[in-house]
Amino acid sequence: MELVSRGAGGVAGLSGSGGDMVLKVEVLSVDDDRVRFLLGGVDVAFTNALRRTLIMDVPCMVIDDIFFFDNSSVVPDENLAHRIGFVPLRTDLDRYALPGDCDCGSELGCEKCRVVLTLDVAAETETRTVYSGDFVSEDPAVVPVSPSIPLTKIAPGQAVRLEAYARLGTGKEHAKWQPVSTAVYQHVAEIEVDEDRCTDCAECVKACPRNVFAMEEGKLRVVDVNLCTICGECEKACPVDPTAVRARPLDDLFLLTVESTGCLEPARLVAEAVRILSVKLDEFAGKVERGETEDVIDVYAVAEVEKARLARGSIEDVGGDDEDAVSDVGAEDEGDVDSDVE
Amino acid sequence: MIIPVRCFSCGKLVGDKWESFSKRVAAGEHPKEALDDVGVERYCCRRMLLSHVDLIDDILEFHEKREVVDIRGER
Ligand code: SF4
Ligand code: SF4
Ligand SMILES: [Zn+2]
Ligand SMILES: [Zn+2]
Repeated sequence: MELVSRGAGGVAGLSGSGGDMVLKVEVLSVDDDRVRFLLGGVDVAFTNALRRTLIMDVPCMVIDDIFFFDNSSVVPDENLAHRIGFVPLRTDLDRYALPGDCDCGSELGCEKCRVVLTLDVAAETETRTVYSGDFVSEDPAVVPVSPSIPLTKIAPGQAVRLEAYARLGTGKEHAKWQPVSTAVYQHVAEIEVDEDRCTDCAECVKACPRNVFAMEEGKLRVVDVNLCTICGECEKACPVDPTAVRARPLDDLFLLTVESTGCLEPARLVAEAVRILSVKLDEFAGKVERGETEDVIDVYAVAEVEKARLARGSIEDVGGDDEDAVSDVGAEDEGDVDSDVE
Repeated sequence: MIIPVRCFSCGKLVGDKWESFSKRVAAGEHPKEALDDVGVERYCCRRMLLSHVDLIDDILEFHEKREVVDIRGER
């Protein structure tokens, strides 16, 4: 079987790093709020750690404390506060510190760890919508990413007056601080076409839901391997037996899509995630070196897990079919390739 | 009641797209075209706009006509 095409991306060099982990990156596209890139020479564990860091650990700024002076609108204070909390703000990571890292120690923060925004809107003669763009920020760089998010509506005579304190935080604390609306990865496929047996019948071209293939001058060609979701439809459609086309996931090349909520540029989000992850890994390596890892392991939890394992072990012993049970678990693990879910 | 600020599932900002979406659909455009055009791709975000019922205007009417209808029956 011959590997005919790795597609238009020219990414063959990114897969197959051998023994050492050498991180290879190829950016496929980048625009205002989204970046798509290939990450090669890493495993699922690393790629998923990066994804989770993007979701949970990269800080961004949103409103956290609100003082209401007036809210006669039909949306009650707590609902309005909740809505306002979810408004993404343009974030300046270089100028502001996480409240935990700031030396002020103040509950409402200082100029280094918070931004105050005010909202003062009243309806005189006509019903009007209160928009995110009505916020006045003390820092013109920290404003809602879009001015046209409806917050509430007010009838004549009604008003909303409030003072809002925005601060940095992470998705771990609350989903409103999640800087990404999408951070997913998928295994890049390796598509092999056995040229000797392929009859160029174009059945796979018709069957593929992602338009990975095309016929060019009567010959089958892989147009863009990065579109492939490894669904197997091409293999099923191929009339040759055994199938002349095979789509398999590579286990060291991933396609990541990161979509920012607008708080930070997507490339900056990824750079921050890499920085945060490496700081964490360094900390962990230091702990291992100093033999401090036992501190972080909850002895009670370990005991519970151990007890459960022993209980299961004794049942399996009675059954006497230990090896089968083990290999079943292994097979299940290997089959699990839809990686873009938690 | 009022369009949620972000998608419940993925967190994408959808609130700012509601007004143009609803206007276009009211004008007879197919919701699919309108959704594609306002840049809402995933089905989690699309259902946020598609399934939303903007009740706030109905409730606002009670406040807009406050002087006219008085609970004591006086004007
Ligand atoms: S596995 Fe599915 S997506 Fe990939 S090439 Fe085959 S049919 Fe297309
Ligand atoms: S369906 Fe099979 S035989 Fe037909 S073009 Fe595709 S790979 Fe070749
Ligand atoms: Zn401070
Ligand atoms: Zn969504």
